[in-house]
Amino acid sequence: MPGAFLTFAVIVFPLAVALYVSLLDLDQYTFRQWVRAPFIGLGNYISAVRESNLLHAVWVSVSNGVIVTLLTLPIGVAAALATQDSFRGRGLLRSVFLVPYVLPAFVVGTVWRVILQPDGVAVDVLGSLGIHTSLWLNGPLSFWALAVVQLWASWPLVYLMTLSGLQSIEPAIQEAAAIDGAGWWVRLRYVVFPHLKGAVSLGLLIGFLHSVNSFTLPFVLFGVPSPRDVEVLPVLTYVESFQNFRFGISAAMAVFSVVLIAIPLAFYLRAIRLDVGEKG
Amino acid sequence: MRRHEQLLPRPLRIVTIAILLAVVLLPLSYILFASANSDLAVAEGAYLPVTVDFTAYRKIWSTVELGTSLVNSIVVAGIVAVASCLVAIGSAYVLVRHTFRGRLTVLRGLLALQSIPGTLLLLPVFVIFASTASALGVQVIGTRWSLVITYLTFTLPFSTWVLVTYLRGLPRELDEAARIEGAGPLQVLLRVYVPLAKPVYIAYGLVSVSYHWNNFLWPLIVTNSVEARPLTVGLQVFSSTDQGIDWSVICAATLMTSAPLLAAFLLFQRQFVQSFVRAGIR
Repeated sequence: MPGAFLTFAVIVFPLAVALYVSLLDLDQYTFRQWVRAPFIGLGNYISAVRESNLLHAVWVSVSNGVIVTLLTLPIGVAAALATQDSFRGRGLLRSVFLVPYVLPAFVVGTVWRVILQPDGVAVDVLGSLGIHTSLWLNGPLSFWALAVVQLWASWPLVYLMTLSGLQSIEPAIQEAAAIDGAGWWVRLRYVVFPHLKGAVSLGLLIGFLHSVNSFTLPFVLFGVPSPRDVEVLPVLTYVESFQNFRFGISAAMAVFSVVLIAIPLAFYLRAIRLDVGEKG
Repeated sequence: MRRHEQLLPRPLRIVTIAILLAVVLLPLSYILFASANSDLAVAEGAYLPVTVDFTAYRKIWSTVELGTSLVNSIVVAGIVAVASCLVAIGSAYVLVRHTFRGRLTVLRGLLALQSIPGTLLLLPVFVIFASTASALGVQVIGTRWSLVITYLTFTLPFSTWVLVTYLRGLPRELDEAARIEGAGPLQVLLRVYVPLAKPVYIAYGLVSVSYHWNNFLWPLIVTNSVEARPLTVGLQVFSSTDQGIDWSVICAATLMTSAPLLAAFLLFQRQFVQSFVRAGIR
């Protein structure tokens, strides 16, 4: 038990400090004596909304997260269905599919930064297909660059969750449907998909939380301060603290980001079974 | 499985697999080629190397100080993995086998804490560390210890949850049998559960190492020297130097840093996947 208490003390205490700092007028001048920084109540929240790019950043984070999450669904499910039936080399294939997920975010970011650089290989390949682009890491296309890279890194999660959902379908049900003469699409639509709902929606939920909280990927891809089209909330919060040294406003932004994820998080907590005796 | 029970018709399956393989492998193969290519050719967007040249793999050890960062990463990840496992198994045991008020809240809290945005804890922990420097005279920021302490706190909820999901699958009778033999609660934990949880340790070690390999924001802020820097930041600092970008070296270093993780993943793939799926999270 002391472990659990320790965890809570060590995490709940900083949370309290975060809340408190968000009410202070804290910058690099008042930082040394931060406890004595002037208390300004909700002032930071008001200036975060009015004077900073907060709302824009929330919009970028959420829209990117939603687009990525929706696109991971068909890809992840298709991958799981394609590797469910046994064939030679399936084990190896499954490992390969998980590679983007196992690669650390900074590696994924670096890989794609090299690929998407101006005049780089992506521009070249697309150009030879008749699609002429030049800037991926800056300007309006950068939003889609972020979405593509996030998608590349996060579909294996949905794939993994779908696979685990597929294991729970009893072969007997499948056989019965096949004997009844149902075609593959009908079987998928009415027999397989209903069974996958739980596992897949859990995967999507985690994926969404992940991409909204993601800092490393946009940071490595675009650098700081980031281009306006990809100014996501975590990066903005970081820049506000450690580049502009407006700690109070940054803390207020961090609190905003908690509110932002609170809704999907609540669903997530309800979806996971907490108690003993069931498979989690 | 008999043929008519397959989920997807054969042609569709083959097409799906081919497309996905290309999506995964093309970017990675490109980095492999680029690491052996000349910087100019990479900058111009050549896919295949013009001249094959592996000097980049020698350069990463001298120009990037990859060795120091690698050692830092391994030391930090190792300490954190062992320490948090020790603490976590104790808490997990209590959470699974004892009923007390607020137990569900604790479990829920464990889960919720994983999704807390890193940016929320960043500032307060930084403030607290800065205060220990001025109040107690202990300089934490800038050392490897700052990483160990914070990772320990950040990974504890996850490690506890992983062990909770594992321990709850073990039969309760084990406990009772040991009790009848006259073992106290602590002995039950040490003699029964600690050995039984062995399969989790490998998975857990992997998860913890991959967490470390993934963490970037925090070391970026608290380590400011080559001596304390882990791999993640070391590579980033190198690739943003102004002295003309050395693409082949970046690619070589990227591959070298992910190699240990990929090797571990391929070796222990089953444990890795199981623990992810069982815990339902990452």
